[in-house]
Amino acid sequence: MRADIRAVAGRIRESMGKVEYRVGLFVLVPAVVIVLFILVKLGYSLATTTMDVYVKVNSIASLRKGTPVQIKGYRLGRVVEIRPLFKPALHFLATIRIRKDIELYEDCAALISRENVIGDPVVELRNPEKKGEFLREGDVIEGFESGSVDEIMAKVNVLLTEVNAIVALYRQVSEESRQDLRALVTGLSQSVTNISTIIQNSQKDIIEIIGSMRKTARTLDDVSAEIKKHPMKFLFQGKK
Amino acid sequence: MAGEQNIGSGGGAVAYVGEAVIRFWGGVKDFGAYVASIVVSFRSLRFIRMRSIYAIILRQTVFTGIDALPFVIIVAVLVGGVVIIQGMTNLPRFGIEGYFGNLLVIIIARELGPLVTALIVISRSGTAVATEIATQKWSREILSLEIAGIDPRLYIVFPRIVASTLSVFSLILFFDIVAFMGGYIISLTSIYVPVDTFFQNLAASFTLTDLLSTVIKSILFGVLIPLIACYYGMMPRSKFEIPIFVSRAVSRTLFFVIVLNVIVSASFYFTWLE
Repeated sequence: MRADIRAVAGRIRESMGKVEYRVGLFVLVPAVVIVLFILVKLGYSLATTTMDVYVKVNSIASLRKGTPVQIKGYRLGRVVEIRPLFKPALHFLATIRIRKDIELYEDCAALISRENVIGDPVVELRNPEKKGEFLREGDVIEGFESGSVDEIMAKVNVLLTEVNAIVALYRQVSEESRQDLRALVTGLSQSVTNISTIIQNSQKDIIEIIGSMRKTARTLDDVSAEIKKHPMKFLFQGKK
Repeated sequence: MAGEQNIGSGGGAVAYVGEAVIRFWGGVKDFGAYVASIVVSFRSLRFIRMRSIYAIILRQTVFTGIDALPFVIIVAVLVGGVVIIQGMTNLPRFGIEGYFGNLLVIIIARELGPLVTALIVISRSGTAVATEIATQKWSREILSLEIAGIDPRLYIVFPRIVASTLSVFSLILFFDIVAFMGGYIISLTSIYVPVDTFFQNLAASFTLTDLLSTVIKSILFGVLIPLIACYYGMMPRSKFEIPIFVSRAVSRTLFFVIVLNVIVSASFYFTWLE
């Protein structure tokens, strides 16, 4: 009897133990999730959210440690290290530490430019038109350096000079064209006068011609009348 | 004559409203006294063997929380899927798809999660607790406890409040997690959003205020549901009144949970809590 009671008590304890584990898991899992969430929200990092990628550049004139890296103006990370490579020719490998969560593709390019009036350097990443594989930790990107501010200013000066020259040329051409037009208009008016004079003169001549033609016709009438009256006399007139 | 009839019917309506208000106020006072008696009963906590309360808490947590988990998970996946599909389909039409994460957190984590979980707990455990206590009262088990010198509030109500609070708290968090994950998987059938983009947007939108709101609601609902269920479970004087008071327990709990949800949600938009 006592053994039976002990066995039942043991079974109850065993089942209670299982229940305890289930309830413990049921309560602890959400509690752990909440604690982790609070830690993440308070700024504690549980896993790395960045990756290191290399940018190959020919010159580091405008690149230095700490230079920000961005895409479309949005800050992704910064340059953490720059080291020279001597083979096959001297070039440099800049390590940039950027966020993992931004979509970048392995064929993207890095344009090293200057961003504000002061000319702070910035590495601008540009995704390719055709999207391929995602950029991964340790990938190498080609870096291109855009011109410095002095070069840009010189180019802008040259451009402005050229624009001024073109404007002057256009002004000259337009002035010359204006003079030519005036001469043309004057010539045209003279031509019109000449034509009208010619027409008037032609009218006078035509009247005279018609008058002479009438005279001629009258003479011919006389001649024909003479021929009808005295044909022989007309034929031998003036002969002796 | 007609005028007198109108005055009479108007007076009847006023009397009806007055009676309802007095009845409501009487109920509030009675419920307040019941809550106060539970608080007072904590004084005799030291005379009770914690092992017995502990066993009740465990069993009630298994019933209210663990047994309800599959149902909560299924509902969470469906609700999450619907909200995510609707949000991702309609928000871009208004050009506000950037606020998708915020909307998801507000709808699922702050509102639907606690409310739907509370509704599930009320429908499963609220009815069960009210019926169990009413049956215990009818079979004079509660009277036996009182005769044995055991405070029934401490032995019956308190463990259920603890178990319900733990269960509702855990169920709400499971609901939120499953709704986000399962909802995302379901939404893949109609629209594609990269998994990292989705969860990063969600994590960025989920603030500690949202978490605080969820935790406060879970604690309040967890306390309120067994409290009302036990209150109405103690009411029946005969076995024929059991269904009436069980039904009343469920309807009142639903009403107060919705009211409490509105109050907590609204209070979080006041500047002093932000």
